[in-house]
Amino acid sequence: MFARRFLISFPIFSFVYIMQESVVSQFKIFGGGFSLFLIFALLWSALGNPEMGALTGFGAGLMMDLSQTASGPMGQWTLIMILAGFTISYLGYGDDNFRGNPISLVFTVAAGVAITRLIYLILGLFLGSEMGSAWSVIASLFSSAFWSVAVVPLLMPIVTRLHEALFDVKSRI
Amino acid sequence: MRSGGDNRGRLLLISLIVTSLFLITLDLRGVQVITGLRNGSQSALSPVQSVAATVFRPVGNFFSDVTHLGRTRGEINKLKAANEKLRQALINRKNADAELTQLKSVLDLAGTAKYKVVSAKVISLGSTSSFTQTITIDAGTNDGVRQNMTVITGLGLVGVVKISYPSSALVQLTTDPAFRVGARVAGSQQIGILSGQGTRKAVLQLLDNQTTLKVGDVILARGSQNNRPFVPGVPIGEVTTVDNAAGAVTQTADVKLYVNFAALSVVSVVIGAPKADPRDALVPKAPVPTPVPTVTVYAQPSESPTP
Repeated sequence: MFARRFLISFPIFSFVYIMQESVVSQFKIFGGGFSLFLIFALLWSALGNPEMGALTGFGAGLMMDLSQTASGPMGQWTLIMILAGFTISYLGYGDDNFRGNPISLVFTVAAGVAITRLIYLILGLFLGSEMGSAWSVIASLFSSAFWSVAVVPLLMPIVTRLHEALFDVKSRI
Repeated sequence: MRSGGDNRGRLLLISLIVTSLFLITLDLRGVQVITGLRNGSQSALSPVQSVAATVFRPVGNFFSDVTHLGRTRGEINKLKAANEKLRQALINRKNADAELTQLKSVLDLAGTAKYKVVSAKVISLGSTSSFTQTITIDAGTNDGVRQNMTVITGLGLVGVVKISYPSSALVQLTTDPAFRVGARVAGSQQIGILSGQGTRKAVLQLLDNQTTLKVGDVILARGSQNNRPFVPGVPIGEVTTVDNAAGAVTQTADVKLYVNFAALSVVSVVIGAPKADPRDALVPKAPVPTPVPTVTVYAQPSESPTP
């Protein structure tokens, strides 16, 4: 069951990944812009159960690790995305007040994006990556959260419809 | 909110975490399969990126221009004021001919240093989530671009080729927090290490505590053995502030980089450098305005005055 769901999600994630790497990366947006793929993966995870969230995070993290711009070792994004996917789906699983409220979903995903990137940075420091100035990191985290708040409402109707169509689960908001 | 996960869910979560830790271990130990996977994905993506760059770059530039509108206007006003001052000074100067001769002698950066370069188009502006500052260019090993080659523009140092694929290459920018380059102060020849800070400002740390820096000093690349990763003499930036903190072992300074990384579209990769070090030959010359000719008209009385 999990494998089937995982496999049918793969072409969608591949499409978003290609969009991120080839189209979104062309835009030099204020504050460093946003990661469409990261937002999409967290939003997708938030609509599923925790196991599916972890599996989604695993697949998405693997793809992010394959990106040539990933600064850390292969597996760093995978590890963080597993935890992020699991956590974000665990927060809302079985809670209709959370799932049924688009505003809470928007802010949870936006916070999730910033926290995920922060944890990536911290783990990267442990693995020997460089951080840069504290100001640029803080500005980057805040701007990614800001852009996520702007992008999630645009993505949400598409993602919820796709999720519903594929998994036959009433997750539309 | 759910009270807790079942055993199957926990087992799955633990399995996935162990798999990711296994991947990290493999990569840190340098297993080639992992590197091959990344290279393969990039080789597959680079044609798509090239097409996307052609189609979407004008749109991206539009948004970039819109976001920098206020800054551009301020810069235009500043330039206008500077231009007026220069124009006034120029009118008063009597040796305009000598300045014109200097103006004609300004040569192209790469031409002056006799670098052998490969020009490339920027096809991607790097990651927005990994805290790295990179660009992808559309020239790779097929064009002679190899790892650890210097990347420049007409203004100076852009970065260094980090990874080279058959038809594209990943360039680590000078602004990247992990970027380090041996630097030299033009004129005084003091040496130090310049490191990126994630912004257009970099930090220079001198190696010798007996020397001093001053605002306006021009910083050049010191060059590496066999010219890789850095060819010598490439302009990097200009000292804007000097940190004279008491107790510091060596002097540090903030350096404003010459290259505008937000507007990179075409860069050159230095694939061959001359044996001779160009020394300070590439230090940017101060801008010289074009002289405005003045016409003096003398009033002459007419031969037949009107009644």
